[in-house]
Amino acid sequence: MKKFLVIALALSMILGSTSVMAADYPNKPLTAICPWGAGGGTDSCVRAFCEALSKELGQTITVDNRTGAGGVTGHEAIADADPDGYTFGSITFEVVTYNLLETSEYKSYENYDPLCRLNADAAGVTVNAAWAESNGITDLTSFIAYCQEHPGEVRMGGSSNASVWHIAGGYLMNAADIDIRMVTFADGAASAVQAAAQGVDVEGVTVSLAEARSFIESGDLVCLGVMGEERVAAFPDVPTCVEQGVDAVYYTWRGFALPLGVDDEIRQTLQDACAVAVEDPDFIQYMETAGLGIAYLNAEEFKEFLQQQEDVDVPAAMEAADLL
Amino acid sequence: MDWSLLFQSYGAIFTSLQVILMALLGATGGVLLGAVPGMTATMGVALLIPFSFGMDLIPSIALLLGIYCGGMYGGSISAILIHAPGTPSAAATLLDGYPMCQKGQAGKALSVALFSSFCGGVLGALIMTFLSPMVAKVAMKFTSAEMLMLAVFGLSVIVSISGKSISKGLIAAFFGLLLATVGQDPTYGAKRFVFSFRPLLSGFSFIPVLIGLFAVSEVIAGVERIVAGDEKQESSHEKLTRVLPDGKTIKTIWPNILFGGIIGTFIGAIPGAGGDIAVFVSYGFNKSFSRHPEKWGTGIPNGVAATESANNGCSGGAMIPLLSLGVPGDAVTAVLLGAFIMKGIQPGPMMYVNELPTVYKVFAALMLANIAMLAVGCVGVRFFAKIVSVEKKMLYPIILIVSLLGAFAINKNVFDIGVCVLFGVVGYLMNKFEFPLSPILLALILGPMCEQNLVRFVDVNNGNFLEILHRPIAMGFFIVSVATIIFSIYNQNKINKREAAAAQAEKAE
Amino acid sequence: MKKTQTKAFSNLVCAIILLIFEGWAYYETYSFKVQKKAYVQPATFPRVMLIGMIVFTLILLIQSLIKVFGTMKENDPDNSPAPPINPFTNKGVLAALFVVLLCCCFTFFFEKLGYVLISAIICAIIMWMVGKRDILVILLVSILVPLVLWFVFYKLLTVNIPMGVLQPLRDLVDKI
Repeated sequence: MKKFLVIALALSMILGSTSVMAADYPNKPLTAICPWGAGGGTDSCVRAFCEALSKELGQTITVDNRTGAGGVTGHEAIADADPDGYTFGSITFEVVTYNLLETSEYKSYENYDPLCRLNADAAGVTVNAAWAESNGITDLTSFIAYCQEHPGEVRMGGSSNASVWHIAGGYLMNAADIDIRMVTFADGAASAVQAAAQGVDVEGVTVSLAEARSFIESGDLVCLGVMGEERVAAFPDVPTCVEQGVDAVYYTWRGFALPLGVDDEIRQTLQDACAVAVEDPDFIQYMETAGLGIAYLNAEEFKEFLQQQEDVDVPAAMEAADLL
Repeated sequence: MDWSLLFQSYGAIFTSLQVILMALLGATGGVLLGAVPGMTATMGVALLIPFSFGMDLIPSIALLLGIYCGGMYGGSISAILIHAPGTPSAAATLLDGYPMCQKGQAGKALSVALFSSFCGGVLGALIMTFLSPMVAKVAMKFTSAEMLMLAVFGLSVIVSISGKSISKGLIAAFFGLLLATVGQDPTYGAKRFVFSFRPLLSGFSFIPVLIGLFAVSEVIAGVERIVAGDEKQESSHEKLTRVLPDGKTIKTIWPNILFGGIIGTFIGAIPGAGGDIAVFVSYGFNKSFSRHPEKWGTGIPNGVAATESANNGCSGGAMIPLLSLGVPGDAVTAVLLGAFIMKGIQPGPMMYVNELPTVYKVFAALMLANIAMLAVGCVGVRFFAKIVSVEKKMLYPIILIVSLLGAFAINKNVFDIGVCVLFGVVGYLMNKFEFPLSPILLALILGPMCEQNLVRFVDVNNGNFLEILHRPIAMGFFIVSVATIIFSIYNQNKINKREAAAAQAEKAE
Repeated sequence: MKKTQTKAFSNLVCAIILLIFEGWAYYETYSFKVQKKAYVQPATFPRVMLIGMIVFTLILLIQSLIKVFGTMKENDPDNSPAPPINPFTNKGVLAALFVVLLCCCFTFFFEKLGYVLISAIICAIIMWMVGKRDILVILLVSILVPLVLWFVFYKLLTVNIPMGVLQPLRDLVDKI
């Protein structure tokens, strides 16, 4: 035991003396914190990107899934990490809701040093096909007209409480000036989609198209409009909401951030590496086959985007969805 | 059903060396992962997804299914040997598995678990092959009302696992249901019993509680027994002559395996319900219909068979909605869904039309994965059974550090270690004062499911709960639950009377 | 045997403690948020569960009251001696208490000292406490087991377990 400790001590002194200098960064493996569980959408996105990024940096990147408390644990772990540039992490849409829900000490995006935005998946307005047909709903306009005639009667499933898709419903209500009821499905989007496909409990869902895909293909559900800036590649026939005259652009996003206080040079190295990694053909192919849309923003743009989200867009939508 | 295509697909799978190798590799990894508390099949599958990226679809699916099936069996190893279920799905296995181990029948328990796992898995795979569309149709009908009543049915099993004192069992059950409400409420996000302590926001994670209640409490009690001089080191080193149970045992356990496998497959097919629920339902159901309910929980192979066949049946069941509807039944199949999509195949009704050969190959791969699990298990049983012969004085501290590490590894959260220790103490005290532990577990699994579906059902029906009378499946479950409760109380009375009579007879001698 | 030493009496004490806990928890539910437009409030479900718990605790209380203050049959299982809980008179309970204390230390020092070191220490202490006296075996087992576990988790499963003061060891493994 003693000998062991002596060796360990000696080693620590040798390694400690080679202090981390920006010039030879990175000279050891990096860690990427992922606030969501292994195997989920964020996780696969993070792993694929880290693969590309590690090619660029010439060091391996270990993905560390720190889960719990609806992503709060992982997000806080990023903010708390040692700012030596060897630990960064993935921040997701939820980070701008923590302030409003009062769940995290790190109330704002300002507690993070944004690196880049990577991905965005738009919400869709998807309803049960049989219900739509019997009520003469064929597109978003007729859906909105129906909702205005029946205020508070149409029930839409939006995944778990205060999740992206739940807030999407609020967004839609604000944009189209309608009153629909958002129903919470705490076990996730899949069960909301299932209920909507059966036409039980809810009439439709406001989740992403990827999550409702199999039922849209089978004809149980019909997507009236996608809340993205452009149409989704997998569903070229589904028009956007904007095309139909409703100004609702709403999507979930995933990006990367560093803890505050990282050396400027190191940050620049990482930012440059990210910009290159996002062009990696393997990464692009992975994202395409996984149905995840790439929507890159550099650090500056990402910061502005976060500000807009946190100060304006999200609070209004949460208000409408009865979350505040 | 296209028979020639089915045979062709099976033939192609079972003769491909690469696929067989992958299934074996997966099963080995799965069994080992499953056996470590805190590591789950989901984690294993997720870790290997990038690994399988470079492979063709079928070998990679065989690899992932191997992990899935292996993990289901692996969980029972630690449940039987060290009283710490390796996965939540093995939680009910310790009810009879651990007493068997204490009786010096660890090897037998392991072999029964292996055999039942295999049979359950094969049963699941067969049901999946032949009845997929039908099962999927019924499973899809499960929305809030049906899920609520399924949870109630699961909870009705509590009475039959309560042990001698039903009131103590029910206190434990309600305590578990109360614990399940700690944290943010699932529907509105209101903070409950959080006391401004943020780690509690997401409530108690299931696996640390599980490890604490069973493994840590057992270590504390074990140390107490050794120091007080009550510990009996099993001197009888069980001779393990065969890795599979003998004909006599199989004859007594086959009905349990059959029921367990069917229950497991069906519950596995319902999205949102998985192995953790299926095992308790199967255990309670089999116990109710047993001719000797009093022997359940004292270490009989039937108990192990009922639970292990159910959780492996789940793997087949969970594949049903995945393939026929594109809806993942549990966390592992959610990851598998990703693997399919990555290869450009969208599971769902259209898959049966466009990709029928692939569908059949997946059926065959699941069958192969179960066979691979059996093969790996056969090699492993002899090795695992040796663990019990490690001196208790060394085994307890090792179990402790493995358990605490497992509690950490699941979320990488130090708070979870604290939760694990806390529940270790709770479990120790409950054991001491003869409160049964398993009702807490069942309540923790079913509590959130029960509450969120109740709230949703009432909400979507504008506060009219009686709307549930229009849901035939839900009402069916409700009637079965009531019957189960009445039957279990009747059974328990019978058991208590028999035991009292036996005690009387002993005294008379 | 005195009635205060029977299981019936320990049940009585358990029931009273539980009732205090339940009362406190019920009071606590009044601090939960009240949701507008909700049919089932966030506090409803916990309250129903607490009522269930209270009902069965009362049953247990009454049963044990009857047994303690009334007559109890000779062969009643509750007439057997209650389990020991006093650490000063029973060295088994003292040892159990000590294990709990060690577990708390484990939690507390997990990040500072790192998994391998704290596990080795605790493993060695417990083995010594339960009467293992072979120093070589104690050292080997308590150092090798955590080390191997850490290595397996870190390298094969890519699960990063804190190393605390032994961090250089991880850097060393990374270099290789």
